[in-house]
Amino acid sequence: MSALVSNVLTQVFITLIAVAGVYVLTGLTGMFSLGQAAFMAIGAYASGLLVKNAHLPIPVAMVLAVLMAVAVGYLIGYPVVRLRRDYISLVTLGFGEAIAALLNRMTSLTGGASGLTGIPRTVGLGITAVSAVVAVALVASFKCSKYGRQCIALRGDPLAAQAMGINVTRVKMIAFLLSVALTAYSGCLYAFYMSYVDPSGFGWKKSADWVIMVFFGGVNSLTGSTIGAFVLSGLPQVLRGLQNYRYVIYAVLVLIILNFKPSGLLGEWELTPRNIKRLFARKKKPADKGEV
Amino acid sequence: MALLEVKHIYKSFGGVKAIQDFSIEANAGEIHGIIGPNGAGKTTIFNTISGVYPAEQGQVFLDGKDITKLEQYKITRLGMGRTFQNIRLFSGLTVEENVMCAFDPQSRYSVVGGLLPTPNRRKEEKRGRELCAKYLEAVGMQDYIQERPENLSYGMQRRVEIARALMCEPKILLLDEPAAGLNPTEVAELTELIGRISQQFGFGILLIEHRLELVMSISHMIHVQNFGQTIAVGTPEQVQHDPQVIEAYLGKEE
Repeated sequence: MSALVSNVLTQVFITLIAVAGVYVLTGLTGMFSLGQAAFMAIGAYASGLLVKNAHLPIPVAMVLAVLMAVAVGYLIGYPVVRLRRDYISLVTLGFGEAIAALLNRMTSLTGGASGLTGIPRTVGLGITAVSAVVAVALVASFKCSKYGRQCIALRGDPLAAQAMGINVTRVKMIAFLLSVALTAYSGCLYAFYMSYVDPSGFGWKKSADWVIMVFFGGVNSLTGSTIGAFVLSGLPQVLRGLQNYRYVIYAVLVLIILNFKPSGLLGEWELTPRNIKRLFARKKKPADKGEV
Repeated sequence: MALLEVKHIYKSFGGVKAIQDFSIEANAGEIHGIIGPNGAGKTTIFNTISGVYPAEQGQVFLDGKDITKLEQYKITRLGMGRTFQNIRLFSGLTVEENVMCAFDPQSRYSVVGGLLPTPNRRKEEKRGRELCAKYLEAVGMQDYIQERPENLSYGMQRRVEIARALMCEPKILLLDEPAAGLNPTEVAELTELIGRISQQFGFGILLIEHRLELVMSISHMIHVQNFGQTIAVGTPEQVQHDPQVIEAYLGKEE
């Protein structure tokens, strides 16, 4: 495999892990976070610094970094899960930008705007691919569990959910923290793959990108979100030769999908044994899948 | 002490006194009808009892426990099930999943089980699905387990909503206008259904309803509300002959 393909795939898998987290948050639970990339930054910086400065073994550093992000996530999540949809976006936006600013300012620790260098490059395509598959599998399992059901229930009707005994704030918090953990882990992989991190890549634009990927593929479908992550994070890399036109193509593609199929590429369709069976049983245009 | 005791509750919205001094006692196996014209505060009574918002004065006891200031989901878990005036099933979930949602808060597996198919999770999910089948059969919806509620008729959606409320394993079941929007045949079926589940599961039922034929035929006691106040309490025969009730419903003879 050429170095270019390997590089693109690794970055796609890293993004996919974060997008799986955003799917839990936005797709399942209906919360829009514009500060999600800050948790990726926390994962990347914390694991990088723990290895560089504290000389911890990389797996230990990654676990600690994820736990650290989850702890921060709990603090920010405490008010966030009690807020209404639009306010959630505002609070997380503010939080995300604050983290980016902190990383810029704390020059002695983080290297400031010039970034944190000298992180050992130990992560490759293999480990990111396995991680991505595990992450998506965990989220798929979560969706079918009681937590997934409760998330979908409270997304549509929090009052009725409460009336059925669902502790809405607790379930939202669990979804939020799962999403934080996944995003932070993708940050860890990012740091040890790039061997260099700087604050500019962790702003609200990145968080918004992830939300777009989820909506592009199908906000109610993990399969769709996965495809969305693949297409939209891979595309700019593949089209690198076209320079600035690649953003035009990206934008046009997103607009076309959201205009003609507002529920995303796959809508609610999931890749499950039962659905595949149904697909072939019908025998009508099997190539179309859920696109119509 | 009665299973459900509501003692002198008050609730107002701005200047509107939605509930003034409402009291009720209900026991297992009893059906209490709450009737009254639109805006009489009937749904507010349900919302206050079930904890959507707390009463401003007065107390509510469920099975001897003071639940007046408790959060809604905790009251549900103590044994209060309810349905809504305008059906509120969860979109994006099948009939079975809708009913399972009321089991999930009682389901005993941790976040680890939420991520991995642990033996414990499988056991609990199986227990849930069995209960689901039991309650869907009780309302006659066992053949629609995999359907989406939005594809079902209004009457069927009502039944699913009742099954979901049964899944809360209630001691007291609150039914808010279960016959709204149903045709006469469906109303007859529903009347039979409510009577049957009340016998089968032995909980107390509070029933808000406009269809008088339904309320009068199955209620043991009737509370008549008007402008937030209780104007009559009694057996169906008693309230039907109460001059104040006749006045509220038909107007006063000049």
